[in-house]
Amino acid sequence: MEEDIDTRKINNSFLRDHSYATEADIISTVEFNHTGELLATGDKGGRVVIFQREQESKNQPHRRGEYNVYSTFQSHEPEFDYLKSLEIEEKINKIRWLPQQNAAYFLLSTNDKTVKLWKVSERDKRPEGYNLKDEDGRLRDPSMITMLRVPVLRPMDLMVEATPRRVFANAHTYHINSISVNSDYETYMSADDLRINLWNFEITNQSFNIVDIKPANMEELTEVITAAEFHPHHCNTFVYSSSKGTIRLCDMRASALCDRHSKFFEEPEDPSNRSFFSEIISSISDVKFSHSGRYIMTRDYLTVKVWDLNMENRPIETYQVHDYLRSKLCSLYENDCIFDKFECVWNGSDSVIMTGSYNNFFRMFDRNTKRDVTLEASRENSKPRAILKPRKVCVGGKRRKDEISVDSLDFSKKILHTAWHPSENIIAVAATNNLYIFQDKVN
Amino acid sequence: FSRRRERAARGLGAGGAMEFRLEAHRIVSISLGKIYSARGQRGGLKLHKNLLVSLVLRSARRVYLGEPGGECALPPRPGPPPPPDCERLRRGCRPLASEAAARGRPECPAESPRKRSAAERDPAAGYPGKKPRRETEQPPPQEDMETGNVASLISIFGSGFSGLLGKERGAAEATEPGQVCCEQPVLRSLNPWSTAIVAF
Repeated sequence: MEEDIDTRKINNSFLRDHSYATEADIISTVEFNHTGELLATGDKGGRVVIFQREQESKNQPHRRGEYNVYSTFQSHEPEFDYLKSLEIEEKINKIRWLPQQNAAYFLLSTNDKTVKLWKVSERDKRPEGYNLKDEDGRLRDPSMITMLRVPVLRPMDLMVEATPRRVFANAHTYHINSISVNSDYETYMSADDLRINLWNFEITNQSFNIVDIKPANMEELTEVITAAEFHPHHCNTFVYSSSKGTIRLCDMRASALCDRHSKFFEEPEDPSNRSFFSEIISSISDVKFSHSGRYIMTRDYLTVKVWDLNMENRPIETYQVHDYLRSKLCSLYENDCIFDKFECVWNGSDSVIMTGSYNNFFRMFDRNTKRDVTLEASRENSKPRAILKPRKVCVGGKRRKDEISVDSLDFSKKILHTAWHPSENIIAVAATNNLYIFQDKVN
Repeated sequence: FSRRRERAARGLGAGGAMEFRLEAHRIVSISLGKIYSARGQRGGLKLHKNLLVSLVLRSARRVYLGEPGGECALPPRPGPPPPPDCERLRRGCRPLASEAAARGRPECPAESPRKRSAAERDPAAGYPGKKPRRETEQPPPQEDMETGNVASLISIFGSGFSGLLGKERGAAEATEPGQVCCEQPVLRSLNPWSTAIVAF
């Protein structure tokens, strides 16, 4: 319809500032599917790119299951809410895969306001030999049709198509920060700053509000929801984290509205570390259940913490990601870096955890050996099939040859999003607009 | 990075109290700038970020104005052990009795203002005026984010800021010319903002 097209053009030219043309390529989310065969990325421009792992072949053993582009589609477009005079960014905040139940793949992708269910399917056959239309699709002149034939399916070049199957809109006043698929595979939740809604995949015009922390008077607002996730096995249980550094575990069987938590996880503040910015750095940016469902991991600005679901008063493990930044908080507040939201991930066996940092560094912590390593995702330092060299930040005193000093760190190169293959040692690391995939070396 | 500024933010360094106040003033200016520029941001006002900025603003303002309880934002200084009744400070450093302020010593410095009692942990208890919700309600699509209340957040500090501008001149005279980092020009450059603040 012409009117719609005109509106879209107006939206795009009105809203898109050409000076940030490349900003659209910045990757904003990375997620493996449940088998690890597919890897999806979302970017600031609203696009989703899906990579598929090659089948391993005996002919080329060194190309051990590399990932190639499988499908690219525009998931979300920028929108303008004329009533509220608000622009809605097309940036993909999160992607979550559904487990595969047939030949097609399904994923949820969300921007600030709208969640969409996408179906990604392959087409490698095409029907040919219609009676009433020719190969171009044009209708044939009926008087020219002299015989009856049945269309047959003929092979064609593989085509991967993505179609939006459901659009879940108009349920969030605030910005959506998380989506999580329930283990019942029938429902999922979406969380914004103040509310969490429960959806059924089949129903798009209604959602069930299960958490609402909006105060009657907004001036009394003291905390917001920062992340939420369903338990991997118990479909009645979920957790959500807050800007005050707390985690609440809720049981949907207890009541329809889960404003009252079942468990409340909070660590007492260390008074010697207090500063103007204590509250900001305690805000949790990500929360993830372990695959086992026994633990949750949280990320705040300087640390990653592992909590046992059975112990609410403190985490069982705390890992320092970049404690050398603690003395720089004022400058990081000034340049807005202190608001960066880092994510964290478990490996398949829950023995190693990984999170990102600045200067394109990312960190891994082995929970059993207590060893940790800092690695870098950069073109200069990683040629294909080269082994990553551990990196070290020099915090004071004499700087050794390979070390980098804190003041030389590039804070514009931040790794916020990483993903770990569900069963193998393959990781995906998003560094601004580049995606790095690293695999364990096999001799 | 300015080491001196960073140490001041942590409460260390020579001339501690004055550095605190200068640093606090600087943080107030930076925070106001962030709130102001957030209004034109693509995608609408980010509630989370602005909440955090307003919390920093609140702490810095308390320190700058030398309000009792402002010291709660800073690491505790060594001193006599805290008195047994620290109840007042539990709710995030509400102003103490003026007598304690005159002494210039923080009460209960070791008491974490964020630690809550069991009763407080119930989030519903924190919102006395909470409206009852219908169970299957879908939030109305026309609901206002109420982010216009950013302006009223500033009005909370408003009464302090016309005083702030007055104090700043006093502070500038008291210290050496080279040391002043509370720049009047900075506030003036946030033009519509400073007008609004003075009007409050």
